[in-house]
Amino acid sequence: MKFRIHRFNPETDAKPYMQDVELDIEPSKMVRDALIRIKAKDETLAFRHSCGEGVCGSDAINVNGTNALGCLTRLSSLQEPIEIRPVPGMPIIRDLIVDMEQFYHHYRAVKPYLIRHDPEPEVEYRQTPQQRDKLDGLYECILCGCCSTSCPSFWWNPDKFRGPAALLQAWRFLADSRDQATDERLRELDGPYRLFRCHTIMNCVTVCPKGLNPTKAINEIKKLMLKEMI
Amino acid sequence: MSWRAHGMRAWVLQRFSAAYIAVYVLVILVYLVPNLPMNFLQWREIFAAPVMNIATLLFQIALLAHAWVGIRDIIIDYVHPVPLRLVLMTGMSLLQIILTVWVSMLMFSVVRL
Ligand code: SF4
Repeated sequence: MKFRIHRFNPETDAKPYMQDVELDIEPSKMVRDALIRIKAKDETLAFRHSCGEGVCGSDAINVNGTNALGCLTRLSSLQEPIEIRPVPGMPIIRDLIVDMEQFYHHYRAVKPYLIRHDPEPEVEYRQTPQQRDKLDGLYECILCGCCSTSCPSFWWNPDKFRGPAALLQAWRFLADSRDQATDERLRELDGPYRLFRCHTIMNCVTVCPKGLNPTKAINEIKKLMLKEMI
Repeated sequence: MSWRAHGMRAWVLQRFSAAYIAVYVLVILVYLVPNLPMNFLQWREIFAAPVMNIATLLFQIALLAHAWVGIRDIIIDYVHPVPLRLVLMTGMSLLQIILTVWVSMLMFSVVRL
């Protein structure tokens, strides 16, 4: 199979280039398997990966123009030559590895943990099954970054717009019956940038390897804001 | 409206004005377009009615709000140098205000009370 792989070594290359690679590999394998075999032949190739089954979220790459996890993208589903690039809009460290700091910064900024103002209970925090159901489709996020790095609003304002992944997590804690920081969370998100750069482009929904819907979460946040406003 | 604090308000303004604009355009399409072409007297007759007159004024104001939020959005997305932003925002606001004054003058000049 034919591959075209984005290469860039900041120590030796003035600018990035695409490298053509031919590899003998069964089409039933995943893109990650191909990358591992290519690396076995040329160990200078750098890419992130770990669990190999869509749980760790470390091998987000751009395959034939679409963000995806290398470990979940079957070679047979792709047209040749298979173009593999780093996810767009992020500073490139080397080959397929990008600097995710900005992405994590936004994640940290939404305070992705329970905030309580009441004293801690003696027993565990209780939730009804219905309250717990509200977290389905939110807690499964693996923070791969496929969504935020495919979002044009995130490309134009990566320093100010929180991005779909962080906003999905913001809603995950707003929707949690145990959380008591609704007001602070909503106030933090107001203003023209952090939340309202979302124009429902929905690239995030298209690419999410876990089948999550950040756009819906963002709309839920807006609805809650509207409710709190009136 | 301050630049930083009102993401939600701008968003709500945009939705409500959009709803009003949609209704107004629909009414115009249904009542006005079938009577085309019309001469000035017929046109004046329609817009002299206070309901139509006020509805049209409100339409211009909704358009002002809607376009202001929309164009501000585009400028926030694509225009990053602050001086250029300022020039574009000011120019756009001026244009919108002139349009609104013009439509108001038109409507006041024909209204039958
Ligand atoms: S929402 Fe989906 S695409 Fe975005 S970071 Fe989470 S798992 Fe990845």
